[in-house]
Order: sequence, then C-alpha cells, then structure tokens
Amino acid sequence: MENLLVALFEILSFGAIVVLVVLGLGIIASMMGIFNFAQGEFVLLGAYVTYLAYTAGLPVWLGMVAAPFVVGALGFVLERLIVRRFYAAPIVAMLGTYALGLIIREIVRGLIGGLYISVPEPVGGSVALGAMHFSTWRLVIIVITALVMVASYLLLSRTSFGLRVRASLENPALARASGISTNAIYGATFAFGAALAGLAGALIVPVFSLFADLGLRFLIQGFVAVMVGGIGSFAGPVAGAAVIGTLSAALPWVIQPVVADVLVFVLAIIFIKFRPQGLVSGKGI
Amino acid sequence: MTDTSSTAAQFTAPRTGRRLKVLPIIEVVVLAIGLLLPLVLQDYLTVFGTRVLILCLFALSFDLVWGYSGIMSFGQAVFFGSAGYGVALLARDLNVTSMLLVLPAGVLIGFSIALLIGGFLLLGRNPSSVIFVSLGTLTGSYAFDRLARGWYYLGGQNGIPSIPPMQIGGYDLTEGPVFYYFVLAILLLVYLGCRFLTKSQFGLALAGLRENEQRIAFFGYQVQHIKAIIFSLAGAIAGLAGSLYAFHEGFVWPNMLGVVMSTQVVLYVLFGGSGTLIGAVIGTVVIEIVSFWLSNSYQDIWPIILGCLMLLVILFRPAGLISLIVSHSERIGNFGRPPKPHRKERDHGSA
Repeated sequence: MENLLVALFEILSFGAIVVLVVLGLGIIASMMGIFNFAQGEFVLLGAYVTYLAYTAGLPVWLGMVAAPFVVGALGFVLERLIVRRFYAAPIVAMLGTYALGLIIREIVRGLIGGLYISVPEPVGGSVALGAMHFSTWRLVIIVITALVMVASYLLLSRTSFGLRVRASLENPALARASGISTNAIYGATFAFGAALAGLAGALIVPVFSLFADLGLRFLIQGFVAVMVGGIGSFAGPVAGAAVIGTLSAALPWVIQPVVADVLVFVLAIIFIKFRPQGLVSGKGI
Repeated sequence: MTDTSSTAAQFTAPRTGRRLKVLPIIEVVVLAIGLLLPLVLQDYLTVFGTRVLILCLFALSFDLVWGYSGIMSFGQAVFFGSAGYGVALLARDLNVTSMLLVLPAGVLIGFSIALLIGGFLLLGRNPSSVIFVSLGTLTGSYAFDRLARGWYYLGGQNGIPSIPPMQIGGYDLTEGPVFYYFVLAILLLVYLGCRFLTKSQFGLALAGLRENEQRIAFFGYQVQHIKAIIFSLAGAIAGLAGSLYAFHEGFVWPNMLGVVMSTQVVLYVLFGGSGTLIGAVIGTVVIEIVSFWLSNSYQDIWPIILGCLMLLVILFRPAGLISLIVSHSERIGNFGRPPKPHRKERDHGSA
C-alpha cells in the first residue's frame, strides 16, 4: 500500500514535468500550426539560465523566476527575426526550427562542455506523511504545474488576448479583417510557448541533471504527447502529456527502462495512426 | 527564395525550344573528378573519399523520398544503420563476408524495414499527414537508437568493433583505391538507376506528387501506394550504403542508426539541392569536405556553423547550392511552377 502510494507520487510528479514541458509545444502547435523543433533547446536554455544565476551566487529561486522571462524574450526575438519566415509550410518550419535548435544546443554545449548541469533544490527536504516521505520539491513542481495550467487556460479562454489568439487560430483572414494583428499574436504566442519551456527547464534542473543533448528526448516526447492529445485545443496537449507522462513513469516499474521508453513511443505512434485527431478532437479551448 | 532569373527561364523555355542543359555537364564533370581523384590523393584521403562516396549513396536515398516525392523521412538512418548492424552480425556471428551475400543482405534489410515502417505510416484507410510521417520516422529513428544503445548483444554504446573485411571471390576488400573504385562503380550504377527511374513515367508521377498531391490523386493514381514503393526503394539503397559503410569503417555504432545521422543526410540534400540527384551528391561532398577541413581546427564551432548554413539555405536558397547554376525549369522540369503556398491557407499540419 505504501509502496503503491510512493509509486503513484513518482508517476504524478513525472507526469507534471511532462505536462510542463509539453504545454508550450502544444500551445504553439495548436495556435500557430507549426511544430517548434527548438522547444527542447528552450527547456535546456531555461535550465542553463538557472544554472548561471546559481553559479553567479544568486539564490536559485531567483534564477528560476528569471528563466521564463529570458527564454520568452529570446523566443520573441527569434520569432520576429527568423521563425515567422517559416509559416508558409509546416515542413519548412520543422527544418528551420530544427536548425535553430541545433545552433542553440551547440552554443550551450560550447559553454558547458560535456557537463551535466544541476542546481540544488530551492526548497529541500521532504514532507512526511505517516511513514512515507515525499520530496518537497517534487510537490512544488506538481503545484506550480497545476497553477501554470490554470493560468494558461484562463489566459486563453477569459482574456481579450486569448480571444484574439483563438480568432487568429479559427480564421486568420477574418481576424485580420477585424483589426487583429495576427503577426503580433503569433509573436506573442511563440514567446509564451518558449517561456513555458524555459520555466520547465528551470524547475526540473534540480531533479534531472541536464546536458546539451537532452532537448531531443523532450522534443520527441513532446511531439508524441501533442499528437496523442490532439492539435487545435488547449485540453488536447495536456491530456496527451498526462497519458504519455503517466506511461513513461509507470512502465519502468514493470519492464526494463529502455524497452519501456521505446514501447511508449511505439504505442503512441500506433494510437495516432488509428486516431489521427487525437484524444481530444476539435478546435477551441 | 524565388529569383527573377529562374522565373524568366520558366516562361521562355518552351518558346526558345532547346536550351543548353547544365545538369548533364555537371554530372559528367563530377564523374570525371571522381574517377581521377585516387590518382592524385594520398592514401588516407582516398579512404576519406570512399567514406564520402558511401554517404553520397545514402544521400541519394533520402533525395528520392524527400526531393522527388515530398515525404519527409526524418529517420532515414534507420535503414542505413540497421543494414550496417545486420551485416556486422552476419560477419561476426556467422562468418559471412562474401560480397555476394552481404550486400544483398544489406539491401534486403533496408528494404524490409522501410517496407514495414513505410507501409505502416503511409498505407491504410486514412492517409497520413506529412507531419505524422516525419514524426513517425523521427520516433522510429530514436527508438532504434535507444534499443541499439541498450542491447548488450549489439554491443551497447560501443557498437560492434573490428568487422572482418568484405570478400570478393577470395580477395579481401580493404580500404584503399580498390574499395574506392568499387564504391564509385556501385554509386554510378545506383545513380543511373535513380536517373532512369525519375525520368520515367513513374518519376513524373512522383514529381507531380511532390508538387500537388491532390491533383495526382484526382488523376487516379494510388498516391499512398506510390509513396510506399519509393519509400521502400529508398530504404533498400540506404541499406546498401549502410552495409558498405560497415565494412569500410570496420565497425558499427548506435549513431549510425539515430537522429544524428538522420539529420545529417537531410542537411546534405538540402544544402546541395533536393530534387536533383546530382545535388544530393554535391551537397554531401561539399559538407563532408568542409567538415573534414574544419573539424581539426574548429571542432567546437563547426556544428554551429553547420546549423547557421542550414538556416541560411532554408531561408534564402531552399533549392540548394545547385540552384545557383541550374535554372528552375531544368531542375523541376517544364510542368509549371508550383503556386506559392499562402501563409494562412494551411490547416494545422494535416496537409
């Protein structure tokens, strides 16, 4: 019983991390129709900013607060300068953002070398519940993920910004005719997605040791989750991330980790093949 | 992106009749250089040249699926690497090194895996989106990479070292000029085969598929079948390249299967010019030579330069290096310029 609870907690906290990583990718894919291949590198950058702040002697939490802003700003600049030229075709966007990710990854690799970067948890220790101990930081990640999800949902469904984003998604031509600057909306959406990836990287750097090549794993996981969940809505990517995160965390308890890792992706691809619209079909929020 | 000169060529071509064809001249020049190189190069450079030729073969396979039929195969290295591992196992465990057995085996492995993956991704009731195919191949590449790294029988991280040399009759084929000419002959044969294929009716259907899939489907072609056929064929060529690579290098390792190799081949073809066979060859040669030259002195920044190059090509020269000297009409043939896709007319990746 206690073991089961601990396992559930592990699975839940891992699922929360995947949701956090995937949310930005899902929002960009759903709202803009492009898959951002540099998303994994935005996660890496978020972790790196936190690491920099930590090595500069600042408190870790300050680095974590700064990371989404820094990465979001970078995302905004990149969208203005480069990414917007790729909107013509989804494949070109994939290749272009892949190249962008490659550049970011290699620069970070140049800066950190072959190191695994990590920072201590801002809130250490564990919470005891009876005989069981839960890592406080993982609890914090779960809480922050929940807050970020609620905030993103409210932003997209209740604010005028969200209304504009959804209008640009539903019918770009009509949105432009109604006086919405879809260009500015795309820029802001991309920056928001990048900021979420930066936050994810900052929060998980105490849990995982990050290294330059980690972006790829997040990227494939994110894609698969978004496709499983369904593109075009807010709920889709979240549902997909929950499923993929749960499976990725649960399967290694039963079978070998490598096999589990591969099996999750194979199952997901088979699922997408037979249900291309994903778990949650339809547009909107 | 669209330079005015090529637009002009587009419209004047039918009227002025025969124009000077540049592509065949480039092909002959490249072949001549390829034939003469081992005579002037030092031995270690001939070995390097052989490796580049094998990678050219691999690039041709990717060019067939992406440049000619518009399938984004982000996992082309799966066929390359699996065939490499397959022949390495044949040589290690069964002592099979005869060329007559290992090369067909490599081709067969590449073909079968491509048929399985391609059949699954491309065939079926609802046609798959471009995004799904690219995601599926990318995931496949990642999965194969992970499996190879984790599987002790396949040597794990280290791969399979010291594969014995390939044998032709009783002769041991070791790296050097003989291996070079052997690969060059194979490359030439495959190149001519691809050239014949892409210039045939089937090739015309492929090109049409790349330019406007719906219209080709409307004409009654079984679009998804054509795609699956070309995908498997390209898998076979990649398998051939992979088995040659395994015997030339003498070892195989997980990077051969994975995303690293898969994206490298995308870069070769994009850079040289997709949709022309010689473009794939030129792209591979240029990138390999530059990286060979730079990797000694600028090992750390070379990948960054490569990324920037890729970005620049996508932004300003989507048709690759070859488009600098070959006109648009000669590259894609005289069946009209594709309409420029409009930014808003896409439906979220389900193209």
